[in-house]
Amino acid sequence: MKKYLLTRQELSQLLDRLAKETNLYAPVKDKTGATWGKVKNTAEVHLEEVNTREPAKGFIFPRCEVLLRFDQKGNALEPEPPEEQIVFGIRPCDARAIAFLEKFYTIEGKTDPYVKARREKTTFIGLACNRTAPTCFCLALGGSPHDATGMDLLLTDLGDLFLAEPLTAKGEKLIAGYPEAKNEHLTAGAKLRKKAEAEIPLRIDTAKLQEVLPKAFASKIWETLALNCVNCGACTFLCPTCHCFDVTDETVRGSTVRCRVWDSCQFTLYSRHASGHNPRLDPRARYRNRVMDKFYYTVEQAGVISCVGCGRCIIACPANIDIRTTVERLLKEFPEE
Amino acid sequence: MSRSEKLRQRAKELLASKEVAMVIGYCAGSKPGLSQPAFITRPEEAQRLIFDSTCSQNLANYLLKVKNSGKVAVVAKGCDSRSIVVLLQENQIQRENLYILGVGCDGVVQNGAKSVSCLACQYPNPVIYDEMIGDEVEKPAPDPIVAKNDKEFEQLSSAERWQVLSEDISRCIRCYACRQVCPNCYCPVCFVDASMPQLVGRTHNLSDNMAFHIIRALHMAGRCVECGACHRACPMGIDLMRLNRRVARIVRERFDSVAGVDINKPPALTQFNPADPQEFIK
Ligand code: SF4
Ligand code: SF4
Ligand code: SF4
Ligand code: SF4
Repeated sequence: MKKYLLTRQELSQLLDRLAKETNLYAPVKDKTGATWGKVKNTAEVHLEEVNTREPAKGFIFPRCEVLLRFDQKGNALEPEPPEEQIVFGIRPCDARAIAFLEKFYTIEGKTDPYVKARREKTTFIGLACNRTAPTCFCLALGGSPHDATGMDLLLTDLGDLFLAEPLTAKGEKLIAGYPEAKNEHLTAGAKLRKKAEAEIPLRIDTAKLQEVLPKAFASKIWETLALNCVNCGACTFLCPTCHCFDVTDETVRGSTVRCRVWDSCQFTLYSRHASGHNPRLDPRARYRNRVMDKFYYTVEQAGVISCVGCGRCIIACPANIDIRTTVERLLKEFPEE
Repeated sequence: MSRSEKLRQRAKELLASKEVAMVIGYCAGSKPGLSQPAFITRPEEAQRLIFDSTCSQNLANYLLKVKNSGKVAVVAKGCDSRSIVVLLQENQIQRENLYILGVGCDGVVQNGAKSVSCLACQYPNPVIYDEMIGDEVEKPAPDPIVAKNDKEFEQLSSAERWQVLSEDISRCIRCYACRQVCPNCYCPVCFVDASMPQLVGRTHNLSDNMAFHIIRALHMAGRCVECGACHRACPMGIDLMRLNRRVARIVRERFDSVAGVDINKPPALTQFNPADPQEFIK
């Protein structure tokens, strides 16, 4: 698609206008880094960190999605419909994760109406990463610090100018009226892409992984890979593609809601059957499930590896488990072990 | 011989002589400046062991996971050893199945700075051990900034304290990393996981988050050893030590009890003393 140009000032003006007209979300500064927040103007946007602590999945798959609402007499009340929102500053890994969630939640033509409705109301304005973190490995899994998958508009920071690539009609609309980029700008963008990609040396043989994982399932290797894991939910809750949920009814101040809340395969309750039997009581089996899910199960289900290489689970893990090491060891030690 | 070298050598000997079946210690992590819990079962693997200020997890937590592994040696800093004492007092582990390799600790680091729990640490040396690896260290002077923050928090009205706590706790995503890394949080079914009936709501609103944190703090009263493992584990950077220090101080001042420092002294909550302050019973 064609690419356009915005000056830094024009981008500020655009964001200021969007903040007035609609709900604008962007990375904002907090005690320990950057998080997503609703902003009133460009000045509140904080782009100093490589990425936000939490992923952007909450914009289409919130931690708590109200499905039904009742009053005290048992009358059903309409849940509030999602509002229009613009998300500025989403990074390529997180946008690919959004694309994954959209895909996952339409498997076999069964569309999840909640994710769909939110995605329709959301515009993602992405920002290419000119700088990566030591935990980033998007490139090893088919992504790139400059990848545009899942976004409506991708911006690349060229210094005084921003290169803007619309990917959807929503993106086109935002960028209408700005001048088209010239060759020199495209070259500058390509150079930045190459530089950022060069910062990620890791390569993963994803095709081989598909052979290795089913064979490794019953292996003893998990005993050493997962002994550290304490089965908390830090990695799953912060993972941009983890998509499991539970449904719970709660009464707050006289009104009852049925909510869909995030769940984690690391919790024992997750796999407990109604009978009380729990087929996945072994903590190592729970860690294994997470790895299998990212790199194998979602390939079977939706045709794609669901790890986008954002590195959040590596940063968040209290036991300092590194999913890259896990994958590398599986590839190296299997099936020879 | 450096401390890490000595540790490796002793671990190797203990495994080679079959005195223990496993050594739980630390090895280098995948990133510089980070280490990982390590579970060593073969003498030649003992090479991987390290001990330095990056060794931040409380390894007592893993003793509960390897219960069926026979006799286990564990590397224990001051706080880890206190957790072990609490676990022994609560009959969760057997002393004869344990070989404690004590290490003096100058404080662990997180994100390049000394962990807040270590700034206030009064027990940097193991309170129980089978042998010391390296020398004991000197007790640090209590950190004035932590003391000042605590004092300021104390002096707030209860409404203001609630406000401060609410701001922090509203950000909790209930990943339970804090609970999972805590050696003394070991209930087979945690109250937040009870689902028949459900005791605490799961929608991450402030009142449910608060219920989790306050009930957990009360369950840990007289048992929390202020190791800071929970505080460091929290991916949201929530100041969990503020609550922990306050509860520990109340137990210390009112019941003359410090968790896990004396194996022969029954924990505060397990004994009834008619002289205990009980002005709340009206
Ligand atoms: S598994 Fe880890 S690195 Fe992969 S997408 Fe999830 S949080 Fe990011
Ligand atoms: S891998 Fe780490 S973050 Fe994930 S459940 Fe295990 S201990 Fe928690
Ligand atoms: S509550 Fe936190 S500080 Fe206290 S013993 Fe448990 S992990 Fe350590
Ligand atoms: S580790 Fe932090 S975010 Fe997770 S449950 Fe504990 S306080 Fe909440």
